[in-house]
Amino acid sequence: MGLRVVDSSPATEADLIAACVRGERDAERELFRREYRHVHALLFRILGSPRDLEDLAQEVFIGVFQALPRFRGDAKLRTWIDRIAVHTALDHITARKRIPIPVETISDRPDPSGPADDRAHAREGLRRLYGVLATFKPEARIAFALYAIDGRSIADVAAITGVTALTAKLRIWRARREVERRLEHDPILASYIAQHRGPR
Amino acid sequence: MKRDLDRTVDRIVVEVPVADSSQHRVEPRLFEQLDGLRAAQRARRVAPDRGARLPGWAWGVAGAMALAIALLIVHRTGEHATSAAPSLVVTPAGGSSRFTIDDAVIEAGSDTSVEVATDAAGGITLSLARGSIDCDVAPRHGRPFHVIAGDVTVEVVGTRFTVVRRPEVQVDVAHGKVRVRANGRDAFVAAGERWPAVATAAVAPVPAPDESPAAPTVPAQRPEPPVTDQPRNSPTPASSRDAFVAAQRLEAHAWPQAARAYRTIARGGDRWAALALYSLAELDAAHDHAADALAVLDEYQRRFPKGASAEDAAWLRVEVLRTLGRTGDARAAAAAYLERFPSGTYVTPASRLAPP
Repeated sequence: MGLRVVDSSPATEADLIAACVRGERDAERELFRREYRHVHALLFRILGSPRDLEDLAQEVFIGVFQALPRFRGDAKLRTWIDRIAVHTALDHITARKRIPIPVETISDRPDPSGPADDRAHAREGLRRLYGVLATFKPEARIAFALYAIDGRSIADVAAITGVTALTAKLRIWRARREVERRLEHDPILASYIAQHRGPR
Repeated sequence: MKRDLDRTVDRIVVEVPVADSSQHRVEPRLFEQLDGLRAAQRARRVAPDRGARLPGWAWGVAGAMALAIALLIVHRTGEHATSAAPSLVVTPAGGSSRFTIDDAVIEAGSDTSVEVATDAAGGITLSLARGSIDCDVAPRHGRPFHVIAGDVTVEVVGTRFTVVRRPEVQVDVAHGKVRVRANGRDAFVAAGERWPAVATAAVAPVPAPDESPAAPTVPAQRPEPPVTDQPRNSPTPASSRDAFVAAQRLEAHAWPQAARAYRTIARGGDRWAALALYSLAELDAAHDHAADALAVLDEYQRRFPKGASAEDAAWLRVEVLRTLGRTGDARAAAAAYLERFPSGTYVTPASRLAPP
């Protein structure tokens, strides 16, 4: 007797959305479990590692479930969730924009003495990167983070942030120019970015 | 040098920690909160507390909750709902409230009262009784979005703008363009502009053109900065680089001055002149002066064909031509870009425009 493969794949996206709109808890849990890692990663890449990242992720999903009945299906569900996550991140940045970013005192010269120092400098480089991003206008910060850190295309950035491709491109370009300017004066940040350069 | 640095910061890999434990922590909290919200909403629908006297600080919260409840009712009645009863958002003095409607994000400022109404066609109308609202509106694709402030109506295409009514009405546009109707007359207000224009303002509202509001409009000339805005006794920058940095700083709050500064720097022949010329094109493009931007890009291509921003300039040309509605020229420019920069940053969108 041959092995019969039973299709146990989850419901289609449309079915899942319909069940969530009806308030079916199993469907809501499935949607949450499907998308949580993605939302968590997106928020992390936009915001760095804020203490309240989990609260923000929770806020995103509250927004998702509250607004799901209005989902028209004219974008992918994930893109639609991305928009809610980006708006949540934008709210967070706007609310905290006057709070200074603490920067640890650390030598400006990367110490090649061992892995522990490498890790310390990597952490410091990351902190400095998000310290620089924190000085940008929220819209520029979001656009740059989506493009440069989350790896989105300019078209995706435009779609998620609701602006034209040209506007998205200009925001990214300006942010990139400012990061470049900071690199000239910050060897640790320059070293971090050189070591964490991603594929284009 | 500049190009190398640009490439260095093009993409950055940030390691994201594993989210499993985080997911297990968030899941029960999320559904507990969701249950609580739904129970509160059900209770309010059954017994709305219309006569309750709220302290001043609570009005903001109550207004936002009222909006959330109204929107939820619309959701529950499905896509074919005819219309929703208007909801009121009120913020106390010193407070603010942010809410979303469709893809629009609205921030009500201090001491603001705004009524939100939706209709069957997906249209949204905000009636501003007092205070200020900051609206970030994604392209509406035919669904109207209006802000009414007394006798003034602001019609939105897709933009970010602020309407203030204290009690005079003022409209500031950050991105995109809106149409302001007042006293039977229309005026288009573009990015960086204010309505009503003040006598000393550098930029006056653009008169309503014959074409539809969605069509690109190109002001004939970049506005000249008012002479009075020039700082007196300002020191002459020590170098092109200093001058460039100074021009950059002007961009956010005084872009016509920034444009003039870039033009001055661009008279030179060094890399800062090239960068200033490209920045000028960007600045014009960002402020809807597409024709000016194109002229500057032509100049850049002629004077600095191998400049550090040559690739960006080549792609900006494509974007600007599209903005001007010159689709055929944009395709040709995209093809030229692909030929010159076959592994460039914008290969994917260029290939969509000009398939090989």
